Amino acid sequence: MTGEELEFQEDELSLLETLDHVLDRGLVIAGEITIAVADIDLIFVGLNVLLTSVETAREVLHERKKKILSDE
Amino acid sequence: MSARKVVKKSESALYLYCIGEALTLAPLLKERLPAPIEDEGRLELLEADGLAAVASAVSLKDYDEEALQAHLADAAWMALRAMRHERVVDYFAKRASVVPLRFGVIYLDRAGVEQMLRERAQELRAAIERLEGREEWGVNIFCDRKALMDAIASISQRLQELEGQAEAASAGQAYLLRKKMDSMRKDEARAEVSRTVERIERELREGSEGATRLRLLKDEAGEYGELVGKLAFLVERRRFDEFRSAAERLAGDVGRAGFRLELTGPWPAYNFVTSN
Repeated sequence: MTGEELEFQEDELSLLETLDHVLDRGLVIAGEITIAVADIDLIFVGLNVLLTSVETAREVLHERKKKILSDE
Repeated sequence: MSARKVVKKSESALYLYCIGEALTLAPLLKERLPAPIEDEGRLELLEADGLAAVASAVSLKDYDEEALQAHLADAAWMALRAMRHERVVDYFAKRASVVPLRFGVIYLDRAGVEQMLRERAQELRAAIERLEGREEWGVNIFCDRKALMDAIASISQRLQELEGQAEAASAGQAYLLRKKMDSMRKDEARAEVSRTVERIERELREGSEGATRLRLLKDEAGEYGELVGKLAFLVERRRFDEFRSAAERLAGDVGRAGFRLELTGPWPAYNFVTSN
């Protein structure tokens, strides 16, 4: 097959993917100052809505993860 | 009683990124490092019991509970910090086995971090060991509803059976059968979406050390259609080519029905920090 259906995009930022990983997952340790887990969930939902349209955030973060784009 | 507690409350705190074996992480601090979450800090290791937490100093002016709560509402502030957190974790995860921490683990002093490392040493060590040589890959599944609806008649066995009956039936019966098929299309398409997501999860799981299905947020759509499934896999680095080939084959198969797969990663194993 040509791999056309499998996206594998180099150096294309996925800000939401990153936020999703960092804010919503990872080991939870109750530090001495902590944001509650419930808050993190809310924040993520809020940011998700907000950032889809915030161009500046994209600029700040333009280096992220390889997504895979084999049809380029 | 720690002498620290007697001293006037410090102006700074320690922000934590990830935890690994002290011996493995120490040499990595001598390399060129990514930026810490705040410019004024610098990445350092806090060690106890052979474990080390990667940390950097942050000002309590921005990171006490109240200040932090206020910052959380600021998308640009948060996005930059989340990205820096991820870059630091990523740097270490690419070079060593580390347990990535969720954003926002903050301690007031070194003693607090060291105590945590000692208290959770067993669990942390088990996780570090389990993640050795492995990384996380995400698979997002998008569906082009229109393409799926167009293809569904040739995919769905039930629809094909009815089509067969309609072809053999009298004109009147055929008309009724085709009407019935029209109303079934949507349900069959929905069933096809869950079958496809399940199939991808099942088949890719085989080439991985763990799989997990992630929640979908409302309105998450890409240029390839609606996001219908989000999976994460823990993959051995040396087996990634195999995993990728399997994903490519699957992408080819399900592509005919309007599905597209997007592979993201490698990620530190955020979704596999606990063993279940």
